[in-house]
Amino acid sequence: MKSVVEFFDRSQASPTGNELLSGQGRLAVLVSIVVLALFAPIANAYEPFWLNMLVRMMIFALLALSLDFIFGYAGLLSFGHAAMFGAGGYAAAMLITDVTANALIVLPIAMVVGAVVAGIIGWFSVRAHGIYFAMLTLAFAQMFYVIAFTDLPATVLGLESFTGGDNGLFGIQRYETFGVDFTSTLLYFYLTLATVALSFVALLRLSNSPFGRVLQGIRENEERIQFLGYNVQRYKVLGFALSGAFAGLAGGLYVPFQSVSHPGLLHWMISGELVVMLLLGGLGTLWGPMLGAGLVIFLEEQLAGFASWEIILGGIFVVVVIFAPQGLAGAITSVRNDPKNVVTNAKRAIRNYVDKVRK
Amino acid sequence: MSETVTATSSDISKNDAILRTEGVTKKFGTLTAIDDVSIEIPAGEITSIIGPNGAGKTTLFNLLTGKHEPTEGRIEFRNESIGGLAPHAIVDRGIVRSFQITNFFADLSALENVRIATQAHYTGFSPGDFTRHHASLEEPIEDAREVLERVHLTDVAHQSAANLSYGQRRHLEIGIALAADPELLLMDEPTAGMSPEETHEVVDLIEAIAEDVTLVLIEHNTDIVMELSDQIAVLNEGELLSWGNPEEIKADERVQEAYLGGGGRE
Repeated sequence: MKSVVEFFDRSQASPTGNELLSGQGRLAVLVSIVVLALFAPIANAYEPFWLNMLVRMMIFALLALSLDFIFGYAGLLSFGHAAMFGAGGYAAAMLITDVTANALIVLPIAMVVGAVVAGIIGWFSVRAHGIYFAMLTLAFAQMFYVIAFTDLPATVLGLESFTGGDNGLFGIQRYETFGVDFTSTLLYFYLTLATVALSFVALLRLSNSPFGRVLQGIRENEERIQFLGYNVQRYKVLGFALSGAFAGLAGGLYVPFQSVSHPGLLHWMISGELVVMLLLGGLGTLWGPMLGAGLVIFLEEQLAGFASWEIILGGIFVVVVIFAPQGLAGAITSVRNDPKNVVTNAKRAIRNYVDKVRK
Repeated sequence: MSETVTATSSDISKNDAILRTEGVTKKFGTLTAIDDVSIEIPAGEITSIIGPNGAGKTTLFNLLTGKHEPTEGRIEFRNESIGGLAPHAIVDRGIVRSFQITNFFADLSALENVRIATQAHYTGFSPGDFTRHHASLEEPIEDAREVLERVHLTDVAHQSAANLSYGQRRHLEIGIALAADPELLLMDEPTAGMSPEETHEVVDLIEAIAEDVTLVLIEHNTDIVMELSDQIAVLNEGELLSWGNPEEIKADERVQEAYLGGGGRE
């Protein structure tokens, strides 16, 4: 709770001027949380489908946030975040079915499982750099996918079923914590909102911590940070594991909500979609990727009727990458900093691009 | 860890060898970049390493700082072998380098560039290092301000490093290395690409640093080398060609031939 209070305590602004999300940004986050909290009952009364979509948006926002911490902020492009998402989801499914449906027990365990899976993948992968690192994380994640899909643990341990193979685990009930039953979508919405908000505060604090500063240094200049006495490998593995914990948490929220845990959660398609969410939203800002995730899920839901909604998403992606390389976050920041020249800036961006193409 | 370092540090007084290499060789495939080099760096003095391009000067730095592992031979710092240690472990023991090509954190402010270096002495992996705000640790910031003062960058502390002038960047480069609190500082061409005026400033800075840090310089400007150095090591094609004080090196015919150009050009 202390960190929540400190979140709005501006006395600790960085004197070195490299604070992640300060001042108005924090206020905007608080306002968004309040608006979401107030909007939920209205949506519930008129169009429950919207509430359902909002929960999914927030869960993927959490997943995008976890990836942004390690990719956008620390510079490690993980193409395997679905593995931690799925691992957290499976852990939640098994615990809820066999042990307890208490969110305060299941969700922390989902985080631990996510962290352990990320720790394993990270430990083997951090010695590689750039695209090689990305490919290693992708390969490891696909291994976890195959393990879940073929139900390898059941074969090895001689059980009848462990991950449920290609069918997955289904009929997972929602959380019930100290007599509060989260079966209603409205209550589940509030559980998700609170979890995502706390996670955001935690990751923001982690980013601004001494540890987070070193991660940022690794992104900026890995060689130099090493020659300042930092054990870069250890920082990377720990950062990756912490990121994995929040991906696991997202999985732990997603599976009971959808009531099924299936191998598709670990598939590289999810990892790829996540990277799209990050680039769309704006790398390294923490809040940008959350917007990106919301937008992608929104489009997916709204355009599903058109069958090939990916074409529209692809079009938006191309436009954003060309005209707003910093993503939605970059566009929003520039509009806020310079509201009068929005049209001029937009024109200039188009002219620059046309010039580039003609060359 | 730090206690043992302080214990041994009393063993090494001024002019004793703080760093020693014995028969150090580095091969990249069939290329021998460093060939059987044995040198001793005396504590508290300025040693320069000179030699033509490709003589192996930067490779030697890379070996001393753990970027590469020697193929053969032994490297001792304070009478303890450091060959094959990871770069961060060597920095922990007190050997720090600066880079020939300015190697900093371009998007961060000058102050943050230095603070991230001073922070290494105060933080690690204890729970507080994950949960507290970095600005709540005041010592690294104070140390960083002192370092910026030393390298004359206080006025631009809050500018991002990418916006600094070339001369300021070179100062920042030295500042980052100083912030890591070295006992032995290896400087790779600190005056590279500088105007005479800027060079003069850096020479003053080096002299000030040398008052409490043992220095090893790689430097192409022979005037500076002769002016600053207590010892000079001359490398040629990976081998140690000559070793001595500036007078001896000036008088050495082999050095004249290989490096100074034979005609006494200084």
